[in-house]
Amino acid sequence: MRRQKQWPLRPLLAYSFCSSAAERVSNSTAAAATVAFPLKHVTRSNFEKTLNDLRALVKAADFVAIDLEMTGVTSAPWRDSLEFDRYDVRYLKVKDSAEKFAVVQFGVCPFRWDARTQSFVSHPQNFFVFPRQELTFDPPAHEFLCQTTSMDFLAKYQFDFNTCIHEGISYLSRRQEEEASKRLETLYREEGIDSSGETEDLKLVRLADVLFAERMKNMLNEWRTGLLNGGNVSSESPRISNESTRSTETVFHQMRPALSLKGFTSHQLRVINSVLGKHFGDLVYIHSNDKSSCSQDFVVYTESESDKENLMKEAKDERKRVGERKIQSAIGFRQVIDLLASEKKLIVGHNCFLDIAHVYSKFVGPLPSTAEKFVASINSHFPYIVDTKILLNVNPMLHQRMKKSSTSLSSAFSSLCPQIEFSSRSSDSHLQQRVKIDVEVDNFRCSNWNAGGKHEAGYDAFMTGCIFAQACNHLGFDFTQHSQSDNLAHNEKLEKYINRLYLSWTRGDIIDLRTGHSNADNWRVSKFKYENIVLIWNFPRKLKAREIKECICKAFGSVSVISVYHIDDSAVFLLFKNSELVWDFLKLKRQLESSDGPVSVLHPLSKILEGGNTGAADYEAYKEICSSHISEILFSDQAETVGVKSRTRPDPQDETDRREESTVAVTHKSSDLIDAFLANRVEVETATTN
Amino acid sequence: MQRRFLSSISATAGNSKTLNQGRWSVKQVKKSNFHVTLDKIRASIDSSDFIALSLQNTGSYAAAWHRVSAIDTPQTSYLKAKYAAERYQILQFALCPFSLQGSKLTVHPYNFHLFPRDELKCGMPSYSFSCQASRLTSMAREGFDFNTCIYEGISYLSRAQESASKFLSGNPILADPIAVSSSSPATVADTVFVGRIRSRVKNWRKSCVDSSIKTGDDDLVSSLRRLVLGSEQYGSRLCLTIDVCSERQVQLILEMLTEFSEDVVPLLVASKSRGTQAVRTVFMSSKEDKDLFMRELQDLENKENRRVRGFREVIDLISSSQKPVISQNYLSDLTSIHAKFLGPLPANVDDFSSSLSSAFPSVVDLSQFMKEISPLSNISNLPAAMSSLNRFFAPVDVEVANQGSQVKLSESYQSHGQNAVMISQLFAKLRTIQKSDLSTVEPNEDFQALASDEHESSVTSCSQNAGDENVKVWSKNSRRVSSENLVFIWGLTKKMTAAKLKNVLQKSHPVFTQEFDVKYLDKSCAIVVFWESGPSETFVTAVNNEEQLGGSLKEMVAEGLRAAGYETYKKACRLGFWEADLAESLDKTLESSDTDPDSDSNPSEIDWSNDLAINFDEL
Repeated sequence: MRRQKQWPLRPLLAYSFCSSAAERVSNSTAAAATVAFPLKHVTRSNFEKTLNDLRALVKAADFVAIDLEMTGVTSAPWRDSLEFDRYDVRYLKVKDSAEKFAVVQFGVCPFRWDARTQSFVSHPQNFFVFPRQELTFDPPAHEFLCQTTSMDFLAKYQFDFNTCIHEGISYLSRRQEEEASKRLETLYREEGIDSSGETEDLKLVRLADVLFAERMKNMLNEWRTGLLNGGNVSSESPRISNESTRSTETVFHQMRPALSLKGFTSHQLRVINSVLGKHFGDLVYIHSNDKSSCSQDFVVYTESESDKENLMKEAKDERKRVGERKIQSAIGFRQVIDLLASEKKLIVGHNCFLDIAHVYSKFVGPLPSTAEKFVASINSHFPYIVDTKILLNVNPMLHQRMKKSSTSLSSAFSSLCPQIEFSSRSSDSHLQQRVKIDVEVDNFRCSNWNAGGKHEAGYDAFMTGCIFAQACNHLGFDFTQHSQSDNLAHNEKLEKYINRLYLSWTRGDIIDLRTGHSNADNWRVSKFKYENIVLIWNFPRKLKAREIKECICKAFGSVSVISVYHIDDSAVFLLFKNSELVWDFLKLKRQLESSDGPVSVLHPLSKILEGGNTGAADYEAYKEICSSHISEILFSDQAETVGVKSRTRPDPQDETDRREESTVAVTHKSSDLIDAFLANRVEVETATTN
Repeated sequence: MQRRFLSSISATAGNSKTLNQGRWSVKQVKKSNFHVTLDKIRASIDSSDFIALSLQNTGSYAAAWHRVSAIDTPQTSYLKAKYAAERYQILQFALCPFSLQGSKLTVHPYNFHLFPRDELKCGMPSYSFSCQASRLTSMAREGFDFNTCIYEGISYLSRAQESASKFLSGNPILADPIAVSSSSPATVADTVFVGRIRSRVKNWRKSCVDSSIKTGDDDLVSSLRRLVLGSEQYGSRLCLTIDVCSERQVQLILEMLTEFSEDVVPLLVASKSRGTQAVRTVFMSSKEDKDLFMRELQDLENKENRRVRGFREVIDLISSSQKPVISQNYLSDLTSIHAKFLGPLPANVDDFSSSLSSAFPSVVDLSQFMKEISPLSNISNLPAAMSSLNRFFAPVDVEVANQGSQVKLSESYQSHGQNAVMISQLFAKLRTIQKSDLSTVEPNEDFQALASDEHESSVTSCSQNAGDENVKVWSKNSRRVSSENLVFIWGLTKKMTAAKLKNVLQKSHPVFTQEFDVKYLDKSCAIVVFWESGPSETFVTAVNNEEQLGGSLKEMVAEGLRAAGYETYKKACRLGFWEADLAESLDKTLESSDTDPDSDSNPSEIDWSNDLAINFDEL
């Protein structure tokens, strides 16, 4: 039985920040609370306060770890990362995922080196996020996709969907905010023009309306005369007519005498407005929303035409201010992202390209159409991103330390940070090598925290941060030497790994987010020549890859096809020996389809073309299919829906040449990173084949 | 524990109490209590005359124009409903079998929590589904428990998915006897293959026969023999597994095995990915043994099917009962049910109607029924619809007859499933009113006959043809117009009200000297309706023809105004261009080269009414 050693703790004053907090903890003598405090969940109700606290924590932090939980990853099985995905196709698939699925949890965990206690202090926070529509004048009905397996996965880890949907924090991306402001601006501008026209539009058709209008006219007339004659308005008692729910009361609105209208329906208010327009030049109808968002309606008396204009303008400005405030409050969770961006802190994630893409599409704006444009844009928002998965796989020393165990988040955590995972401080031969990491949540601090909530974004972010701190330690990074002014992001030991993310982990493609580098540098050299690939779909379903290969080999020679790879049940990639064969194949297919003589029946390809629906196209068509926002489950349906007709490019030659040139360039200039990576890659591959 | 209790609440129609929600105890059914409840549901359905149902989906329409509106023909309405049914997920299925005797309504309400859990790990019943954030938010406001739904929802497979999943369960299945029939000319390779397998099977069978006769063999010898011949055991029976590498080989083996049909039964072993992996031949010691084996296989299959079917069992119960189904939102409910529990939705409304009626022979569209009795009422709000019937004297006593869970008011989800009870109540009221109208109604009327009458009207109105008598002009401010007289216009640079747009149009072209009307369909696109045929065509050709353009219309076209007839709209729906803005969809349709003639190109009629207009403020 393992006895948990508990560190003395004491609840601290609210709003006291880390530096002083650490002091108090070390000074405290009484163990007041238990170590097992839970992960901090943030919802709508405690968001404002948490955000205020977080500002100081992020400012003081050395790095901030993040993690996201989404409602799904792939919108169709074939949208998964496949062996034959070129980097641009891979980007399109990530883009599709980030656009379609919602983020439901966002873990943020700032880490700060505390020189006093010689340890890191981390502040894990688990934000529940939900794309609730807060703005009524924001029309696009927000819709997101849920992948059933992902929902099941979340459920398996006890994800609280109720909290997420009932209490999740909403958000607007920067683009959405701009658009909402613009829309508000137009509404504000058009209001003056429309309001005059629209009042006359209202025709009193129903008898009830006519009677009501007449009555209101009399009432208003009486009130106005009273005002003008007596002037003694303030003493007038509220007039409640026949115990009805409606009431009118003389009040002051913006220093002017006014009649406050309560309990009228919006239709009745429109009628009143039209009565005013027709009969009372100096009375103005004002509808105002005060801060508590309860609306009030007034009929205001104005002294003169200019006074009337002033009043109208004031009311309009007020409405605009209310609208702006609404937009501000609708920004919601994006304030956290803005904070991370403006502080330019080092962001740490684990296999985080998809996470970063989500952050971009949810909080910045629509994802750019190509990977190049994305790279060009992300840097201005998040200048320093480090991926612990890259660190563990690319650095040979760390890779070796992982002892070939999986680099998934939880297994990396247990192999690098066992002292935290098992909450043990027992004599460990590597103890001197272990970075001490304390956790502080709402001013409770402890050094062996284990909330255990794996796959809660907040806890995952914490684990990611721990792995990063430990990895830095192994890289020979001495935290004790380093002063606050030093920026981790500029450290030479880390430089090789910063801003490089796995575009596709399974294929080992790395994307380099640094700007100022030519695109050719950004991608790992690919094993495949994509111009040698043909895509076939809608062939007879019972054909297996081997049979397809046999058919093609019969037609084009036994060495013409290198491999056949299933996209899903309905489609395959054919990798030909060279690109001429691609055009030959597509040409032959067309010929066979147009003739229906005995040749087409007996031809070896007829087996594949059976049924007459078989489609075929080159690799560029695959890219086009992936870029569509439609996601049919079967690839063949997708290809048909997107409408890619079997086709060949008219002159494929020059483009192919260009691509080959760039490939060559990369192979000559391959950086040490690529070398290191490839070395490891080979190791990994041999490990898996064993 | 299983005590059955009756909770009888009598409520007289017109009494304000009827409007209260959440009064009935509705049996909540989840994964854990589904199988124990199934028999009770069967009994409830058997003892009832009608079945009311109500669904809670994760969304209804993604953009304003995706909503079925008065300008839609049956085909476009269906396509819109189809698009929604395929994308959104049913999270709750409220079912209320009921019977009506005089003024006594006996209801058996159930509420099922559904979640499309991928139990076979093969992307079924659904790989993913869409959620409308606003819909989920409003469900949350009503106290919907998403955790119960996702953790404990009942999964299901549609009929089509079930037959596809047979191969995925991993259990060997009986070779389909129909499959053993024709054969294409045998090649030399085939003959060699068959010959080899035949001799293998012969040897194996011989050893089987031997071992069943000679029981004196010692264990070592028999196991050695088994090893040599590759014989295995399937349950208690001997079997031989023959690996195959194509469906052709499966065919050949099955044909060959007919020679041994009296004591060898072939089973197909499916591979995980696709097709057949192997043929397993099982040796039968006698005729009785064979019968027993077949029964065992059947039982196994039934058990497996039942596990896989999940909630669809309930749908099958409803379907096999052949009782009339009462639905509030006929099109959206039944397209959803078809898509999730029967199979993929067909491309056009007629196929849908026939496919649906094979499963549910009579469906009553409550809103249609409501319109007949009380043309002005709005069905979308059930309590309001109920109160609008107060002017009729139609007493209905409600009795909850099924064993519901105790009403715990603290548990908010108890209130779910009330809708189905309300639907049955509303239906009962309407029936009572209808009966009092037709004074010649016999007291013991055949419900079936009545329901099928109504069914007729609801289905035909769904697939109505132009001039069909069934669709009447419901109110004074609604007129019948042919779809030919409609013109869609979009690309307006300035945002203006419909009235303003009408003014502008009046000055733009001579056709607008005739009477016409303008309404916005969404913020991007407006529709112009002419009361006579002719001008619509003139206008569309004018906009698309440079020479005829002049004056302010030319100016508008230069600024981006575009116009198209109803055909374009139909085509947009057919091609599935469900963009957020109708203008975008129509543009795409005009660009698309697809020139397939529309299957139903006959002009249809729609009801033009004033409440069709979409309020600008709502957009």
